[in-house]
Formats: sequence, C-alpha cells, structure tokens
Amino acid sequence: MTRKGLHAVMIHGLLFLALIVVVFPYFWMLLTSIKPYWLITAPNVWIFRPVLDNWREVLFESKLPLYLLNSLIVGGIVSVISVGVGSLAAYSFSRFNTGGTPARFAILAAQMLPPVVLVISIFLMMYHLRLLKTYAGIIVAHLSFILPLVTWFLIGFFDEVPRELEEQAMVDGYTRFQAFYKVGLPNVRAGAAAAGCFWFVLSWNDFFYALILTGGPTKTLPVAVAGFWTFRGIEMGQMAAAIIVAIVPVVTASFFVQKHLVKGLGGGVKY
Amino acid sequence: MVIPLLLMLLAVLVYPMGSSLWVSFENYRLTALHARHFVGLANYAKIPRDARFWNAMGNTLVFVSTAVFLEFVLGFALALLLHRRVRMRNFFRSVLLTPMFITPVAVGLIFRFMLNSEFGIIPYILKTIGIEVDFFATSPLALFSIVFIDVWQWTPFMMLLLLAGLESLPREPFEAARVDGASAWFTFRRVTFPLMRPVIVVAVIIRMLDAFKVFEYLYVITRGGPGNSTESIMYYIYRVGFRFFRMGEAAAMSYVLALIILLLVFLEFQLLRRARST
Repeated sequence: MTRKGLHAVMIHGLLFLALIVVVFPYFWMLLTSIKPYWLITAPNVWIFRPVLDNWREVLFESKLPLYLLNSLIVGGIVSVISVGVGSLAAYSFSRFNTGGTPARFAILAAQMLPPVVLVISIFLMMYHLRLLKTYAGIIVAHLSFILPLVTWFLIGFFDEVPRELEEQAMVDGYTRFQAFYKVGLPNVRAGAAAAGCFWFVLSWNDFFYALILTGGPTKTLPVAVAGFWTFRGIEMGQMAAAIIVAIVPVVTASFFVQKHLVKGLGGGVKY
Repeated sequence: MVIPLLLMLLAVLVYPMGSSLWVSFENYRLTALHARHFVGLANYAKIPRDARFWNAMGNTLVFVSTAVFLEFVLGFALALLLHRRVRMRNFFRSVLLTPMFITPVAVGLIFRFMLNSEFGIIPYILKTIGIEVDFFATSPLALFSIVFIDVWQWTPFMMLLLLAGLESLPREPFEAARVDGASAWFTFRRVTFPLMRPVIVVAVIIRMLDAFKVFEYLYVITRGGPGNSTESIMYYIYRVGFRFFRMGEAAAMSYVLALIILLLVFLEFQLLRRARST
C-alpha cells in the first residue's frame, strides 16, 4: 500500500472510532427500550425477542406526552416572542448601528451570568405572585438567555442582506417599516428559521430553570425524564424509551441547523 | 425599534438581577418569611469561612479545567481530521455533532445506566479484560467520571467552532509552507496553531462559561456524592437556595460566583489581546 493510502486508512479509522463512541450510547438505549424487563440488567444479552411494552407504557399509559406538550408550548412561545422582538432590534442594530459595537457586545454579556443569579429572583417573584408551577416563570427564564442570543444571530443575518435592496424599495414608496417587513425579513428567513430550531432546542433542553420553576402538570420533558430514576425506583426500560423521545426531535433538528449555526455564532461581529 | 427589546430585557434580565442583588443583602428564608430583614454584607461575610462553598468551587475548577482541556485537544484533533478531504465528510460531521444537541439530563442518565457497576455495559466489558471499577463510588474517580460524560457531550461543540475556524483561515501561509518543504508537524506548530489562536481562545471561553454551570449530571447521577466530592458550585447554591430555602445566602453566593467568572473571562480576554498583537 502506498504511504498516502495508509494515511487515508488511518484517518478514516480514527473517525470511525469517534463515530462508534458517539453512536453506541444511542444504540444501547434503543436496545434497552425494547428489551423485556428481566433482561434489562443483563448487559451480556444482545439477542432476544424484542418487546414494545416499555414504549406502550411510556407513550400511552404515562404522562410523558403531556410533558412533551409542555416543552413544545414553552419552546414555541419563547421562540415566537424572541423572533418578534429580536428581529426588530437586530434590524435596527444592523442598519442604524444603534449603540455601536458596545451595544452589540452588551447583548451577549448577559450570557456570562450564572443562571442561579436570575433563578432566585424569578422564583421569588413567581412565589409571591402565586405563579409557581405555571408556564409564566419558565417563559421569563428562557427569554432571559434566548432573547439575547436570537438578537445576536439576527444581527449577523441582517448584516449580510445588501442595503440597496431596501433603499430601492423605499424609493419605490415603501416606508422604513415596510422595507423591513417586506424586504429585510424575507431575506433572512432561511437563516432565521434554522437558527429558530436551535433556540427551540435550547429551550427544550433546559433543565435547571425547569426544575425550579415548573412542577406537577407543567413539568417539561427533561424534568420528567430525570424523574424516571429518582422517584419511581428503577424502570430502566421506560427510562430508555423516554430518553429516546427526548432525543429524537432535537437530533433531527440538528441536521437542519448545523450549517447555519456556525454562521450565527460568528454573528454580530466581523473579525 | 430597539425599544421592545430593551423593555423585554429590562423585565426578564435587569429587574431579576437587581432584585436578587437586593435579596443578597437580606436575611431571606422562605421558611421564615416574616423574619425577613436587611443584614447588609452579612451573607457575603459568611462565604470566606464556608468550607463547603470552597470545596464546591474547587471541584468546579478541577472539573472545568480538565473537561475543557480534554475537549479542546480531542475537538481540535477531530477538526483537523475533518478539515481534510475525507470521504463521507458531511456524514461524519453531522453524526459527530449530535451529542451537543441532547438535553444533559438524558446524557447523564444514559451514562449512569451504562457505567452502573452492577449492570452497566462498560464495567461489564472492562470486567471481561480483568478490570473492576465502580465509576461513581470513590472520591477522585467519581468527579472524573463526570468529566468523561461532559467530554462525550461537549467535544463536538469544540470541534464545530474549531472546524469553522480552520475553514476561514487564509490559504497563502499554507502554500508557502508547502513550497518551503515544511513537515506536517512544523506547519501545524508554526502556521496553523498561531493563526488559530483567536478562535481557540473564543472557543475555550465559551466552553468554560458553560462548564461552570455543570449541574444536570450531578443531579441525576451523584447528587454531589460520595461525600461532597462531586458537588459543583451550581449544585451547592441550588441546595442552599432551593433545598434549605436560604435565599439571601444563595443570592450572595451566586453574585460571588458571577464575579469569579467575570474575572476569569477578563483574564482570558487579556490573553486574546496578546495573541492578536503577536
């Protein structure tokens, strides 16, 4: 074999190894979720007659679908508010350079804040308003970190839309707002949609705020998933199924957003 | 057009920040609300003598530095591999990136299950080659098992940022190095690495900020144990605030944490500036 050929084999070998490290846990969870209960604690059994008991239990007899719905509602509301408010502001930062570069960075500075700082006062606020265990607290908390990110991403997207397009539209009689709404916004739609998936994922995955601010019927999916091992004793098969339910939507979304993610992270600043 | 954003941020960010700062100056216990009163800096004064706070801070620093270092090394290696013309490159990249999109609670539970000393697949495989370990039972090992989980989940993020950095590098220096007959190692050390330094610093800062927030793995696996050997700072503050309901003290601790993080970021930005000027 030539030296170059050997090289290629080595590179592919290493990448393949990494691939196995990443994929094996998924495979193992899938396998566990279809094992009959007496085999779940037997790691040496790989071949067996699969059963769907765990899946039936989780999808039709537990409250998991309700918690899934909660996650969807919270993520949806947060995304809609963020995009609505964030796109207006991002347009202004991009077109009129409102506040200059410091303002752009100030938006991101909030990301450094440890979540405990915010959660204490949001918790107390909701406690005194008697709004604990409703959607209110969790939506406020998620907006606190998603809204700045949304704005940051959108600044980058708007920066890439040529100004001439809008100027032309305004010459043709559009107002500034119409130019934003009918010209600027459609031009960032593709990027914003992909980034929207990403913000949705952030909200969907959050556990810390959800643990403290939701509860009972408003629990979100991660809080429910965490409960499988801690409170009900060991129901590993159902836990595996629930984990897969929590994973599949985000991993699917990830395939759509990856390309835009890099661009968005570079966002509001040009190096 | 910025006004809606400002109002919104005022409500969800600035107001909560201010109000928890105020709480940090109060004796504020949810279990004794009528006894709430202003105590000045008393909550802050307790922190230097709070051994458990510094234990948690130490654990967190060990965790952050080992995890971020390993993620950087592995992420950089993977980024370099994927930067070449590899067959099925997009496939490899897409699949290798998936862990960073999964909720950390799920990742924690997956590994709690797979690393379980009685029925986990990994100890089982290790047993067949004669190694017997309980990943979460003894003191230093438990923390490093958590590090391992973090590395599994977040190396992809490092890889993503570094790969983007590699792809935006200018080509000329590499061509010049090739013309001069430089070896691959020399090119990496003298061309790739210096050019990548700003990207590296940014990637490490972002990852570090996030690693400081480690909470979910502990919540679903060790609960801070054995002893307090895996208790992270976020987990400790969570306990003080939401298990013992001592809001004032928790608020003071979270502000101290914010200051420490700010300081670290400032130091790293100094590094970045030096990297830019050379």
